[in-house]
Amino acid sequence: MLSDDHVNEIIIEKLIASLIPMTSRDRIKAIRNQPRTMEEKRNLSRGGLTSVTENEGRAKAHLTWLWKIVDKEKSKQTHRILQLNCCVQCLNSISRAYRRSKNSLSEILNSISLWQKTLKIIGGKFGTSVLSYFNFLRWLLKFNIFSFIVNFSFIIIPQFTVAEKNTLQFTGLELFTGVGYFRDTVMYYGFYTNSTIQHGNSGASYNMQLAYIFTIGACLTTCFFSLLFSMAKYFRDNFINPHIYSGGITKLIFCWDFTVTHEKAVKLKQKNLSTEIRENLSELRQENAKLTFNQQLTRFSTYVMAWVVSTGVTIACCAAVYYLAEYNLEFLKTHSNPGAVLLLPFVVSCINLAVPCFYSMFRLVERYEMPRHEVYILLIRNILLKISIVGILCYYWLNNVALSGEECWETLIGQDIYRLLLMDFVFSLADSFLGEFLRRIIGMQLITSLGLPEFDIARNVLELIYAQTLVWIGIFFCPLLPLFQMIMLFIMFYAKNISLMMNFQPPSKAWRASQMMTFFILLLFFPSFTGVLCTLAITIWRLKPSADCGPFRGLPFFIHSIYSWIDTLSTRPGYLWVVWIYRNLIGSVPFFPSILHVLIITYLYWQITEGRKIMIRLLHEQIINEGKDKMFLIEKLIKLQDMEKKANPSSLVLERREVEQQDALHLGERDSSLDLRFRRSVQEGNPRA
Amino acid sequence: MGNKQTVFTHEQLEAYQDCTFFTRKEIMRLFYRYQDLAPQLVPLDYTTCPDVKVPYELIGSMPELKDNPFRQRIAQVFSEDGDGHMTLDNFLDMFSVMSEMAPRDLKAYYAFKIYDFNDDDYICAWDLEQTVTKLTRGELSAEEVSLVCEKVLDEADGDHDGRLSLEDFRNMILRAPDFLSTFHIRI
Repeated sequence: MLSDDHVNEIIIEKLIASLIPMTSRDRIKAIRNQPRTMEEKRNLSRGGLTSVTENEGRAKAHLTWLWKIVDKEKSKQTHRILQLNCCVQCLNSISRAYRRSKNSLSEILNSISLWQKTLKIIGGKFGTSVLSYFNFLRWLLKFNIFSFIVNFSFIIIPQFTVAEKNTLQFTGLELFTGVGYFRDTVMYYGFYTNSTIQHGNSGASYNMQLAYIFTIGACLTTCFFSLLFSMAKYFRDNFINPHIYSGGITKLIFCWDFTVTHEKAVKLKQKNLSTEIRENLSELRQENAKLTFNQQLTRFSTYVMAWVVSTGVTIACCAAVYYLAEYNLEFLKTHSNPGAVLLLPFVVSCINLAVPCFYSMFRLVERYEMPRHEVYILLIRNILLKISIVGILCYYWLNNVALSGEECWETLIGQDIYRLLLMDFVFSLADSFLGEFLRRIIGMQLITSLGLPEFDIARNVLELIYAQTLVWIGIFFCPLLPLFQMIMLFIMFYAKNISLMMNFQPPSKAWRASQMMTFFILLLFFPSFTGVLCTLAITIWRLKPSADCGPFRGLPFFIHSIYSWIDTLSTRPGYLWVVWIYRNLIGSVPFFPSILHVLIITYLYWQITEGRKIMIRLLHEQIINEGKDKMFLIEKLIKLQDMEKKANPSSLVLERREVEQQDALHLGERDSSLDLRFRRSVQEGNPRA
Repeated sequence: MGNKQTVFTHEQLEAYQDCTFFTRKEIMRLFYRYQDLAPQLVPLDYTTCPDVKVPYELIGSMPELKDNPFRQRIAQVFSEDGDGHMTLDNFLDMFSVMSEMAPRDLKAYYAFKIYDFNDDDYICAWDLEQTVTKLTRGELSAEEVSLVCEKVLDEADGDHDGRLSLEDFRNMILRAPDFLSTFHIRI
């Protein structure tokens, strides 16, 4: 009779056998992912058994080896095979050092992780969906911190060392308008020198032109790759084949939000869950009423009308912004009221505030079959609005301001962006403190049927994406912009947090946090970031820098700084490889962008394929398990029939001996459920190779 | 990071780091949380591997768990004898699996065990009824509860044996990407 311990032993033997060929890093990862108790995992990582039962008379010494010895044996084997002993030992020690440094780095990063406690409280009261907005905010903050540090070290500090004295006056209004005193500070493009900074006679020279363009380029490239990797990771983790999407009541039951820890929040969540389950059940019970042709036609025409109206409103807003901007330029040339520059940002922020509210009123007219579609359509309309506004402003800046012949047009664009950003921030704060407070008063005191509002995650995330797009566009014209965005995001976190605690109730419907986050990050990448790249590409390749200010003054195009650098490099023999890379790889127009596109698309598809592979593997395992179970049950059935036929005690002894000689995988005479369970746990226990 | 702590030996701490998803600092922080639950029971020196179990009543009163409808099942699943009384190893294991670094398969395995109330390695209709009752706290009528259980078995039971096996559960989890972020207790 095989005992429980013996069976367990066999499983662990198999497990250890599968762990041997792994590298130590993979081995630790595999052991960590084991669904076993801490003691078993600890023993596995040492290479031994959980318990040695005294009843078993087998020698266990051959199993209690140390992984060090295993590794030594392996490295000896590879030494014999490769005859590169120093290389293998070097690699081993390098990988060990790398792992240790990664651990300590992650410890340091965790210790400076911002707002852990606050996020825990938010998650405890409002759940994972609202938490995802704050996580997104924190993630954007990291981008800005990085950009600011890079900018500060490589272009702002050198500029400080050769700064000219600022002769302009400082009045308080400049904080809002960004003109006046700030024009001659490191805040704007126009202040930066185009010379090569050199301190002392023999000191190293620092070419400001190259530094400027390379710093900005480095910032944006890092952001690009970071976004790409995050997007791919989300795709891989959250990829669902849309064909196998199911009704969803199972998800409601099994995806209870464990992060909610506040007593009232839990009770409310339970109540909301009951309501959702009831709705789900009633949807199933109801027959889908077939609409008559007339009704379908009416519904279709309402959709079309709604879309026409919303698109019309968007176009009208864009036109209004464009003509206002043009008029503003003319107006400022003739009049000199310092506050007048604030008109354009004010109008843009009002549009951003009012038009989404108008769009959400369409809900009263349009009827959708699923409430989810309503949310998506509203989201798409808001996105279109914001993209159009940013687009039209970029067009205005690149077409009108840059070519208007103004002195220092880059600084003017920088100032515009600064004002837009600041006004947007002021409006968001006002909305958080006043608007939501008013909405709570209305909901609680005046029209009590409305109740407390729910936090609108989509609208707030769109606001963040809009602000970040402006920052990325403006980073070329106003290098201090990441600092302002950092400060604004910081303040915004606390403002939203306070408003959330005071004015809102937890969400009543399940909000698919991971899918929506994937969608928002996709949105951040494309069109937001790619739009920024296009704008900057047009600026650098097509526009003429202003003649008297900034690091690129006097050049015919911004890109000529790179051209002249390559030219100077080609005269020096030591740097010809750089010139070669530039001319043949980056310089050739069709080659580089197309290769880049191909690489990006390949990478994304690869991540999606990884996600699918996991699914296939699990299904494959299931098929194998079913087959084995069938075989085992058939064998057992045959044995039982034989036993019944004989009904002789001596034959039972024979059975036992036969069983003990069997192959370890066919786990003999036990309860079928126990064996099935152990076989399943062998499959799970085997780490993924 | 200096080795100033005297609670664990260096090997013990390394072993914990290898077997959980936590860093050194987090392990120490968790130890102090564990110790705070029962200061008289839990010694401050674990170098001799004392056999100490904190009773379920104290575990269930932790702020992270006290309002969770499944707190009893969670403690039972992760405790050594299935009675809810947890040693330090069990405690660390529990929060390691419930942390955000644990992979989906590991979480799915333990979630399955939590929802399997009668510990028979299958989620049968009775288990589902218990789950739904705990989730809705008596808001639904008995008829609605049984309807929900029927519907869940309909949707998720792949081999049509009237109960959910671990594979069925895992397949269903694959279609719910939110599972990773919701099956998460922050400590």
